[in-house]
Amino acid sequence: MTDRAAITSRRDFLKLGGATLGAIGLSTMVPPKVAQAARRNGLLTAAGDGLIPTVCEMCVWRCGVLARVEGGRVVKLEGNPDHPHSQGKLCARGQSGLMTTYDRDRVLHPMIRVGERGGGLFRQATWDEALDLTASKMLAIRQNYGAEAMVFSSTHNLSQLQFENLLNAYGSPNYGTQRSLCFNSMVTAFLLTYGIEEPGRNYDDVEYILLVGRNLAEAVSTSETRALIQAVDRGAKLVYLDPRFTKTAAKANEWIPIRPGTDSAFLLAMIHVIVTEELGDCDFARQYIAGCDDLPAAMAQYTPAWAETKTGVPAATIQRIAREFAAAKRRALAHPGWRTSNFVNSFQTERALATLNAVVGNVFEPNGCLLATNPEAGGVELGAPPQPSYPRSSAMRLDGVPWKYPLVPLKLGVFQELRDAMLTGQPYQARGWFISRQNPVLSLPDRARTLQAIGKLDFIVDIDVIMNDTAWYADVVLPESSYIERYDPLYALDGKVFIRQPVVEAQGEARSALWIYQQLGERLGLADYFQYSDEEDYLRQQLAPTGIDLASLKQAGYAEPLVRPPEPSQEISFNTPSGKIEVYSETLARAGFSPWPTWEEPPAPEPGQFYLLTGKVGQHTQFATQNNQYLHKYEDEPRLWMNETVAQERGLKDGQLVRVTSPVGEVEVKLLATPAIRPDCLFMAAGYGHRSKGLRTAFGHGGSDSDLHVTYTDPISGGQALSQTFVTVESA
Amino acid sequence: MASDQPFAFLFDATRCIDCRACMVACSAENDVPMDDTRIWLSGDGVFGTYPDLERASMPYHCMHCLEPACASACPVGAWTKRDDGPVVYDAARCIGCRYCMNACPFGVPHFDWNKGLLDEPLITKCTMCTQRLDVGQPPACVQTCMTEAFQFGRRDEMLAEARARLAGRPGKYVDHIYGEHENGGTSYLVISHVPFDKLGLPAVPAMPVNATTEAVMAGTIPFALGWAAALTAVAGVVRFRQARMTPPAEVDGQDLPVVELADAIQEDGQ
Repeated sequence: MTDRAAITSRRDFLKLGGATLGAIGLSTMVPPKVAQAARRNGLLTAAGDGLIPTVCEMCVWRCGVLARVEGGRVVKLEGNPDHPHSQGKLCARGQSGLMTTYDRDRVLHPMIRVGERGGGLFRQATWDEALDLTASKMLAIRQNYGAEAMVFSSTHNLSQLQFENLLNAYGSPNYGTQRSLCFNSMVTAFLLTYGIEEPGRNYDDVEYILLVGRNLAEAVSTSETRALIQAVDRGAKLVYLDPRFTKTAAKANEWIPIRPGTDSAFLLAMIHVIVTEELGDCDFARQYIAGCDDLPAAMAQYTPAWAETKTGVPAATIQRIAREFAAAKRRALAHPGWRTSNFVNSFQTERALATLNAVVGNVFEPNGCLLATNPEAGGVELGAPPQPSYPRSSAMRLDGVPWKYPLVPLKLGVFQELRDAMLTGQPYQARGWFISRQNPVLSLPDRARTLQAIGKLDFIVDIDVIMNDTAWYADVVLPESSYIERYDPLYALDGKVFIRQPVVEAQGEARSALWIYQQLGERLGLADYFQYSDEEDYLRQQLAPTGIDLASLKQAGYAEPLVRPPEPSQEISFNTPSGKIEVYSETLARAGFSPWPTWEEPPAPEPGQFYLLTGKVGQHTQFATQNNQYLHKYEDEPRLWMNETVAQERGLKDGQLVRVTSPVGEVEVKLLATPAIRPDCLFMAAGYGHRSKGLRTAFGHGGSDSDLHVTYTDPISGGQALSQTFVTVESA
Repeated sequence: MASDQPFAFLFDATRCIDCRACMVACSAENDVPMDDTRIWLSGDGVFGTYPDLERASMPYHCMHCLEPACASACPVGAWTKRDDGPVVYDAARCIGCRYCMNACPFGVPHFDWNKGLLDEPLITKCTMCTQRLDVGQPPACVQTCMTEAFQFGRRDEMLAEARARLAGRPGKYVDHIYGEHENGGTSYLVISHVPFDKLGLPAVPAMPVNATTEAVMAGTIPFALGWAAALTAVAGVVRFRQARMTPPAEVDGQDLPVVELADAIQEDGQ
């Protein structure tokens, strides 16, 4: 803190890096004033004390939070017992949220780059200057190159609605989410098979759970992780497929260290056993499954003996698990997975999962453990401010959807392809990139290539709470308030409306995304698309159709609509062309792909090479939380996992520095010699190896697997194959 | 229903996923410095030979003994066992001798070297979140535990719950409730699927350390007074002899007090 006082006098020119690293804060952290809105609503006393309900944003699960405020400062966050996702609990990340707000590396003012990109030389700007500059650059790009030359990307946050509004109003078709690095294969497969993006899971009735790499104990979704552990505690059987002995594997009755890339062989053989032995729910199947009669023939070749040659799992084990799974009938659950971007055949893994659930008839009530309904909104429809229709864009999307990837949903996109188009200039050159709370510099495969692509752009603007890696390479950085300092658009869950609301005043000059997008909209001549006077006005317009009063919503943190939506029909139907579960998909056939779930041989490492696996740790979220000091304090040191026997054979010692080399890059990282991984695999947790010197906690900590990942895209779902990169290791 | 039983934690290692939410919650709730912690990870982690593996870890913090060794070892009464369970510390009384650290059979209290050397002596450890207990809330670690690996309640109820779980799932757990008897009983009870040493819990006899520490401490003051009496006696004898004896030059005066001192100690019986 003491060095900041000296730095604040250097208002106009700040070198962020080296000896003056402290400059990122720009000015001293002003003690937060009492959140005016909260006080007006009686949530805070005059002294600034209170308990305010809001919604977490440390991951995308959006748990309900009760924020304890003392003297205008958040001192503790707890799970809201009334929220279905928190049930009174928060994970490590949720508990650490106040440290994100009070991070010493918060960006407190708009910043404009003055040195070269990535050099860390920025100057402080006023909001007017930064917004004017951003708008003028965006207008110039649209005028000179067309709106399509401006790329927009943001991922899975509550303000996404207004982000999409901005890009659609501006007129660009180029929308980059990070979904192709995550769940494209799962969503695309379930859309094609069930007609829904992501089926719900019922753990209340489950007796048999098959998790295919779904590491719920470390990729934590509070209520679902809780439900899984409760089910296991109750005696449900858990079978877990993963090349690593994760914390989820430790809770499983059976851990199967399957060969990477062969999950679909295991699942296809399970389907083979169930349909040839007629163990499934035949009545359900005939009525609701398209392709039911031909399924045994289509699966004939996928015998357990065949699967053993692919997976390394004994045929008898596969057969037994298939029989056990089928015996559990509706009380069986094969989890659809989440980040399923592993191999180019991961789409087939997901198709097989969708089929496996369908053949045992668990996909509908009562007691069905996979819910072919979207659990999210629960029928609540929120309003929106009036606005004109969007301009039509006839430009091709840079990410190849749909002209190269006909089956990838527009809202998912193919992010890595978008990055490649920025670099190659094909089919046209992108000029600008508008990024909101996303970290593509760290998340996209092949970081060197991403940095090259950035070099082709005229203008990059990034909205973030801290100086994340992408902000570090941006031309303008707009500071967003943290989630406990701002309103975001309301959302509905399980038939209720929930609110994220400011609990404390924003640090520095940080502002909400709702405000930033509106300010930019006005400067871009798009004010008609942003018809709200402030955040609360936006929320009131959202609430209009529900009859809910904003003040009471703020008080309780949630409310049920007074105007009840009509009860959904009890009739079972699926939103697919045939109205059935499309185990056989005419859509896939027409696009030139196999209409059946099918085996696609994945590539395998050469002798001397290893599979490089990626995944999560329970203390961090993707590429965003590594600078949080609480999480840093309680995480395990990020290291490269190697099987201890292999390490010994190679003369490598636990804790030593090793060099990992892939076709596109190399990193040096400490070794973890452990029995908890297959001998042919290595593992690095994602999200480490930050380059931004504006992150004093995360900078240079661990290595980034994005430096190593080769870009491989699944032609059907557009998913990036994150486990398909093969690497070598040597002592550094 | 009110109970005169102390509060106790029940930790079930089979439910813990090692997510560390309890650790972050503790740090935030108690404003624990970044370089310190009141809960730490304990246990072997992953053990066995690939692919036959198991995992053992637990969040380790103060056991809140029914008869706390730290309190009995403390010469100035800085430690107190509250009736409702927590073993608490009074920094104002502490003289920084760190006897408590040596006395604790679980290795829990630790010295804050940042503050302890230059500022004032400071021993830190889990307080069972007394500030929360006092307003009817469970400790922060318990409150946030999503898998309910931590439960919290009156000790007799927690023991009953632990027994019910052991009886309900034969073969799942090691047939023992750690803390029921260890060191005379603790307010942190643990049940587990792996042997307790795999969780890093020490083998502690049922007899509380206090039986020893209290015996020692009980003898300390008589011992000190005895020494004072003995030395006073020696001094008196010496002075008496010096007064009675011929001038010192004529005798080997160096030996006399030593002999008398040894006799005096023997007579005192210490």
